[in-house]
Amino acid sequence: MSEPLLKVRDLQVEFHTDKGVARALDGISFDVMPGETLGIVGESGCGKSVTSLAILGLIPSPPGRIVGGQILFQGQDLLSLSEREMRKVRGRDIAMIFQEPMTALDPVFTIATQMGEVLRRHQGLTRKQARQSAIDWLARVGIPSPERRIDDYPHQLSGGMRQRVMIAMALSCEPKLIIADEPTTALDVTIQAQVLEQIVKLSQDLGTAMMLITHDLGVVAQTCHRACVMYCGKLIEQSATGPLFAAPAHPYTAGLLASVPRIRTQRLDSLPTIAGTVPDLLHLPRGCRFVERCGQAIDLCHSAHPPLQVDEHSGHELACYNPVQGEAR
Amino acid sequence: MLQYTLKKLLAGLPLILGVTFISFVLMVYFGPDKTYELAGKNPTEEQIAQIRADLGYDQPFFKRYTNYVIELATLNFGHSDSTGERVTRLLGRTIPISLALTLPGFVLGNVIGILLALLAAYYRSTWIDKSIMTFAVVGMSVSFLIIIIGFQVMFSSAYGLNMFPVRGWSMDTLGEYLYYVTVPTLAIVFVSLGYNTRFYRAVIVEELGKDHIRTARAYGASARSILLKRVLKNSMIPIITRIMFSIPLVVISGSLLIESYFGIPGVGKVTYDAITTGDQPVLKAVVGATAVLFVVVLIVTDVLYRLFDPRVELK
Repeated sequence: MSEPLLKVRDLQVEFHTDKGVARALDGISFDVMPGETLGIVGESGCGKSVTSLAILGLIPSPPGRIVGGQILFQGQDLLSLSEREMRKVRGRDIAMIFQEPMTALDPVFTIATQMGEVLRRHQGLTRKQARQSAIDWLARVGIPSPERRIDDYPHQLSGGMRQRVMIAMALSCEPKLIIADEPTTALDVTIQAQVLEQIVKLSQDLGTAMMLITHDLGVVAQTCHRACVMYCGKLIEQSATGPLFAAPAHPYTAGLLASVPRIRTQRLDSLPTIAGTVPDLLHLPRGCRFVERCGQAIDLCHSAHPPLQVDEHSGHELACYNPVQGEAR
Repeated sequence: MLQYTLKKLLAGLPLILGVTFISFVLMVYFGPDKTYELAGKNPTEEQIAQIRADLGYDQPFFKRYTNYVIELATLNFGHSDSTGERVTRLLGRTIPISLALTLPGFVLGNVIGILLALLAAYYRSTWIDKSIMTFAVVGMSVSFLIIIIGFQVMFSSAYGLNMFPVRGWSMDTLGEYLYYVTVPTLAIVFVSLGYNTRFYRAVIVEELGKDHIRTARAYGASARSILLKRVLKNSMIPIITRIMFSIPLVVISGSLLIESYFGIPGVGKVTYDAITTGDQPVLKAVVGATAVLFVVVLIVTDVLYRLFDPRVELK
């Protein structure tokens, strides 16, 4: 296979709080191949969003700090770039689609101004060219009468329309990597699928790689080639989507999958859930971070965190001492 | 827009009436009475009645208030009790002086305040922020009087630079104007800067934490473009509010201390003298002008809101 577009190695991020240091990311490593869609899955607070912000160098600091690791984008370590060099990467090489369409766009500037600014900065277009280009992109993401809509302010658009504007802005400089942080979570259920489809289709047309951050396993199954499962700042399982869904090896992944409702095959009185809650990052258990919620923890799990081990044949990565057996599900 | 402005002006009329009415009640029942000052020693009942009639004190309250409203509408307040000068002429002479005196300090105090606040907010909790805010707290804590006297000693006395005058005023040439206005301006800037910086910093810190600022950064916007374009335009509502609502205070009463300490014949001094001597024609004019100014400021503020924030609708 070719060289990865993005290589994240042993990334560590800490947040300094009044109560102590919270390690939001504890040695995360993964690759994104060119043109590939990688899903990153996990519960709220597991470090998904922090990962994406870290890649763009947008961790709010203070209180956050990247304390170790490497983020190699096309072979270059983004962490070693100056702020000025990093600005050229943001939006042009790596673009981000944010979760909150209601607040992610600036309320006091028109769409034309906001998209035009990005296009002029990264593509060197004139004001007029940038406007035309922005209109074309709005049309491509399915906004009706874009030549009129472009002069609207964000509050004049619906949530779905705003997220489309966000997508148009992300794609407009034809980046090599798009990071979509829960791009459809805040939208109406009825348009979630439409918007998601649009993102995936357009990024495939452009050959753009994508990191799709989500807690929606259905979305991952539909769109991603591979998926990483995160728990409490650790990567616990990584695999191609098919095998991951067919035979999850980590008890947490299995638990997540079991708690997805299945309309056709089961009629249940109650939905299976994972017992307990996510531990506080300031008071993590000594061994595996999932140990207190795990149904099959063995003694070793309580004393040491299992290392991430790679299966040479399948590329499947797993951090578990007592994984779920293939047929157990 | 024009229709809106007219509508607002009409809506402002009751406000003007209310403010003037309350001030008039206070002035008539609790304010100074000039009768005995004018009557001299051992006046007779008739003399007193005569003086009260001359001053118009003997008329029923409602009639006096109606007269006042008519005076306001026609801008004819008669003559000052103390100097005999026409009130409109007196104000026409002194208001420009007060404006010329306070405006440079007011503008500089706000502009520098916003710039320092941008710096402090951007470099939040670094030494830059800490030193700016320490300076702001010091500026806020020192009394205005101390600052005026301190600056006079520093700039206008033989103990200091001795480059500027302690008292007096002239606007005949630019050189003279700068000569007289510099030290008062420095004092005004120094006093207002602390409050302004603290206020604006809080506004800007909040704005910098917004999602759309993060979006702008994620698309490669520079710190300069974020601060001067996005943050500033987004913070315009609180900034406008603060600036606009301090205008009436600055024009009418803000300059009083400065004027009395620097011996400058502005409207603050005139108002102060009118209050202490019970010069009702002058007081009535100043109170009326303040009320009208407030209503005008309210309307202009609303229009400015719309100019900077497309979500505001003028209805």
